[in-house]
Amino acid sequence: MFNSENVLIQVDNLQKNFKNIKVLNGITTQIKKGEVLVILGPSGCGKSTFLRCLNLLEEPTVGSIFFNGDEITDINTDINKHRQKMMMVFQHFNLFPHLTILENLIAGPVKLLKKSKEEAKAKGIELLKRVGLEDKAMAYPNQLSGGQKQRVAICRALAMEPEVILFDEPTSALDPEMVGEVLEVMKSLANEGMTMICVTHEMGFARMIANRIIFLYEGVVAEEGTPEEVFDRPKNENLKAFLSKTLNPILCRT
Amino acid sequence: MTFKNNKKFYSVWILLILVLAFLNGCGKKEKQTEHEIKSVKDLAGAVIGVQLGTTGDIYASDYEKEGAVIERFTKGADAAQALKQGKVDCIIIDQQPAKAITDKNSELSILDEEFKKEEYAICISKDKSKLKNQINEVIAQLKKDKTLNNIINNYIGDSTIGKFPYQSPKDVERNNGTLTIATNAAFEPYEYMEDGEIVGIDIDIAQAIADRLGMNLIVQNMEYDSIIGAVQSGKADVGVAGMSITEDRLRSIDFTEPYTTATQVIIVCKSGNLVETSILDSIKLNFLKDNRWKYLTDGLLMTLQISFFAVIIGIVLGFIIAVIRTACDMTGKGKILNFVCKTYLTIIRGTPAMVQLLIIYYVIFSSVDVNKLFTASIAFGLNSSAYIAEIVRSGIMSVDKGQFEAGRSIGFNYIQTMWNFILPQAFKNILPALGNEFIVLLKETAISGYIGIMDLTRGGDFIRSRTYDAFLPLIAVAIIYLIIVMFLTHIVSCIERRLRIDV
Ligand SMILES: Nc1ncnc2c1ncn2[C@@H]1O[C@H](COP(=O)(O)OP(=O)(O)OP(=O)(O)O)[C@@H](O)[C@H]1O
Ligand SMILES: [Mg+2]
Repeated sequence: MFNSENVLIQVDNLQKNFKNIKVLNGITTQIKKGEVLVILGPSGCGKSTFLRCLNLLEEPTVGSIFFNGDEITDINTDINKHRQKMMMVFQHFNLFPHLTILENLIAGPVKLLKKSKEEAKAKGIELLKRVGLEDKAMAYPNQLSGGQKQRVAICRALAMEPEVILFDEPTSALDPEMVGEVLEVMKSLANEGMTMICVTHEMGFARMIANRIIFLYEGVVAEEGTPEEVFDRPKNENLKAFLSKTLNPILCRT
Repeated sequence: MTFKNNKKFYSVWILLILVLAFLNGCGKKEKQTEHEIKSVKDLAGAVIGVQLGTTGDIYASDYEKEGAVIERFTKGADAAQALKQGKVDCIIIDQQPAKAITDKNSELSILDEEFKKEEYAICISKDKSKLKNQINEVIAQLKKDKTLNNIINNYIGDSTIGKFPYQSPKDVERNNGTLTIATNAAFEPYEYMEDGEIVGIDIDIAQAIADRLGMNLIVQNMEYDSIIGAVQSGKADVGVAGMSITEDRLRSIDFTEPYTTATQVIIVCKSGNLVETSILDSIKLNFLKDNRWKYLTDGLLMTLQISFFAVIIGIVLGFIIAVIRTACDMTGKGKILNFVCKTYLTIIRGTPAMVQLLIIYYVIFSSVDVNKLFTASIAFGLNSSAYIAEIVRSGIMSVDKGQFEAGRSIGFNYIQTMWNFILPQAFKNILPALGNEFIVLLKETAISGYIGIMDLTRGGDFIRSRTYDAFLPLIAVAIIYLIIVMFLTHIVSCIERRLRIDV
């Protein structure tokens, strides 16, 4: 039913309970190659949980997830192999503090993809150049600002040459003046055709880069559509309330 | 460490030593002889010192009904010391060791009235009747051709001492295996240490027996009260330790024909003449004579070796246990393994290290002939692993959970994530705690003497048993431990400071 060429991730009736709290109540959706999907929703509605279910950092209670046609929710699937193609960028960066920036970038490629150190380093430097941080290659994470750390974290994801990147509120932990530099990098990724799934509270940014937006409410997809449909012609009452609460009126007009 | 600090340390030390010296002096002056022993009749109501598990112990115990109090010492020398300090009123011990004691301690003397006569024999497991018959034959031969007499006269009797040293015949073929004997080399002249070797009447007799049986002799030194256990469990073939045949012993073990008779005597303290020795003489006696300082250096080396190997075993095992435990905490998988680990931790942390050491030596490795250093390293390593596991676990817990998720989300599996990202961070956090664990472990190894290892503590104790002086050997041992622990503490605090700068 989903086996069309373009589908990268297929989610069927995804449910997740923490003990007896129902967080996700049956989510079905698919993400196509090259698509930029933005997930919106009020705090606690399960956005992070949804994202973390996609790479099985959380184990779904019910439902199945297919990645590249393989069912990763099947216990016989080697999830580690699939995760190598499905990177995640965290709100709090989670760089490895005991490794230099360059070591952070090459750990995966060298140890998992079995690339040579030289090759991985060259690629790492290239990625750092791209985000304007090549002079930090030998620095340690705690010598960087928040915005710099998040750009490095994106590089670390890119170093694995993933097919999709999951962003969980990548700018929420940043000082406002650093948000722009991270969004800039993400925008350029989107323009290059990288498949991205992105939880964010940056509405203007969401509108700008999203191909499609999902509004999660109480663990279900309450509304889904293009940015125009979701922002300009919201149908769901909860979405309307959410937008009126969170939308910056200035951004709304742009 | 700054110069100022150094000075402070030294003054603390000097103070400590002075206080100890003062206490030592006090002990001597306040000697009380409340209950004077002039004959066997006076034993009722007296405080009697004996060597634990010896025949003297058994006979003296009869006087407990008559109000006597028995103080049991692991060595005759300890008993002598207690007698000198007035802690016991008399000692009951074999005649020859008694002579050795009184020769070295002019203030002690042997009562003319003998306490008991007894016969010494070799103890042997009840299932080794073939070996027993062979030994009995040899003993009969040795008695007949006077070899036995000569051996004894070589150690006892003023005019004959040193005249008949036993020499193995040159042409002995030793293809009948080994004869392992258990003994307690603190019972001069039957068995004692001289220049680092175990010598004495019993050792020569054992050698003579081994020669005649065409066997290689192995001598194992242990506590007197461990000998019967060692023979029963097969750790030693026979026990040769000036042991006399008693009802109680016959219940658990068999004896060969007796090879000599011995007499139990009573040692008392001649009233009120204490010989003061100068500190310089004392140093000469305790450390320089017969190269006794070597017991301390060899012992130190042994202590360091045991600690080193034990800590390696402890760290490896501790890390494995900690990783299993956290894996179960985090993923809920591996419940059975986790249960095994938890049980292990409960047992190890719930029983004394000393008991574990004895169990590993006498129970687990009882039938195999293993190196004692190896045994002790395993025992202390296992013990330490339980504590290290919990240290490591807390170290892993102290690493941000996001680190783990980052590793897993890149595609590293659990073990790879642990190894590459979590453990290096955890290790840094717990390095000081690991250093402290090593220090604790080093001090803990002081009990390895109980399985007959000559570690630092045992080395010092050994000097004490030769010189009948407790003060210098024990203080020297304490000071050596202190120096090493202070040195290690210093290193740990240096590492701690460096880590703090790094972060
Ligand atoms: N490990 C967990 N154990 C129990 N409950 C959890 C756990 N993780 C999340 N939850 C609960 O699940 C619900 C959804 O959490 P989630 O983090 O997915 O929300 P979110 O939409 O990402 O919110 P936010 O915008 O604040 O990040 C919340 O009520 C949260 O308390
Ligand atoms: Mg969230």
